[in-house]
Amino acid sequence: MNCNVAIIWMHDYLDGELPQQDTVELKAHMLACPECRARFEQLERTESLVSSSLHTHAPLEPGQSEQLRQRIMAVLPKDRKQLSWFRWVRNHPAVSVAAVFFFVMLSSFLSMWHQDGELIVKGNDLQQVIIQGDTVIVPEGAHVNGDLTIENGTAEVQGDVNGNVTVIDGKLQLASTAHIAGSSRTIDRALDWFWYKVTETVTDMTK
Amino acid sequence: MLKGDQQAFADIVDMYQDKLYHMAYRMLYNRQEAEDVVQDTFLRVYRNLDRYDDSMKFSTWIYRIATNLCIDRLRRRKATYSLDAESSEHEGLDGYSMLPSDNRTPESETLLSETQRIIHQAIATLPAKYKSVMVLRYLQDMSLQEISDVLDMPVTTIKTRVHRGREFLRKRLEHKL
Repeated sequence: MNCNVAIIWMHDYLDGELPQQDTVELKAHMLACPECRARFEQLERTESLVSSSLHTHAPLEPGQSEQLRQRIMAVLPKDRKQLSWFRWVRNHPAVSVAAVFFFVMLSSFLSMWHQDGELIVKGNDLQQVIIQGDTVIVPEGAHVNGDLTIENGTAEVQGDVNGNVTVIDGKLQLASTAHIAGSSRTIDRALDWFWYKVTETVTDMTK
Repeated sequence: MLKGDQQAFADIVDMYQDKLYHMAYRMLYNRQEAEDVVQDTFLRVYRNLDRYDDSMKFSTWIYRIATNLCIDRLRRRKATYSLDAESSEHEGLDGYSMLPSDNRTPESETLLSETQRIIHQAIATLPAKYKSVMVLRYLQDMSLQEISDVLDMPVTTIKTRVHRGREFLRKRLEHKL
């Protein structure tokens, strides 16, 4: 047997890939060839030294392991969250646009809601209406033709209103002499306000 | 991201972090760099999780990413050193002189016996293409087939590299032991 072939077979043997029959042949050669025997011993020793050296000295102590773990976890989540959010938007353009539209509408309504604390009085016929501070008074015996809307104030109705009375973010006080031909409503919450604006817009459009 | 996903990923980190660190450390012999490699590996896994191909074992995939990052670093390092290398090829260069300084050497390494030091040095000086194969083989106990999957190279190539790597180490160690 050629020594060069023997060396290749030695490696195959160490890889666990030398067929049984060839192993026998290799052993026979090594018994007869001291050089190959020495070579094989060196390889075997190298193999076990390297293997044990790599295994025995774990460079990572438990505390460091935990630190590394935290470091890794700290770098991760945000990134992917952003990515998956972005991906969702890309996959659902119509819904995203609708959501943005809704968000803008809602925030503009809400800002309108919070915008002003000042008294607003709306109506077609305000000549007989008296305003005292933030109180709007429809005096006894007065006749208001049409609707009356009051924002951020108190409505005190003592006379007649030939229409609806709507009070937004305020109070409605009705005297015993009061007469409201339409309906009277008090709106206090943002959602009602929102709904009111929507129905108002719709009725305006259908007029 | 769902809470469950995050927990699942934390489990992956738990499962592979130390193994990947050991491998990277044995390839780079530098703690800081090894930690960076582990972090980068998980970052890539995280970003490409939806591109993960089921036909490959997950461990194969994660080792492939980590090994490639290590090899990149070794190549970059080699390139940096060859720039100002005036001396002839390998003479006078042992593993440690080529390494970036690492004053964070763990306790366990400073207490090494002389024999252990020699072995470490021998492994550290392995050329990158043998080193990756040897570390996967002897630290991760992978079969030739598994290494070929990780490195995406034919088994015959891996086999040749194991043989050459083994001979390289033998020559390095024969005079010293």
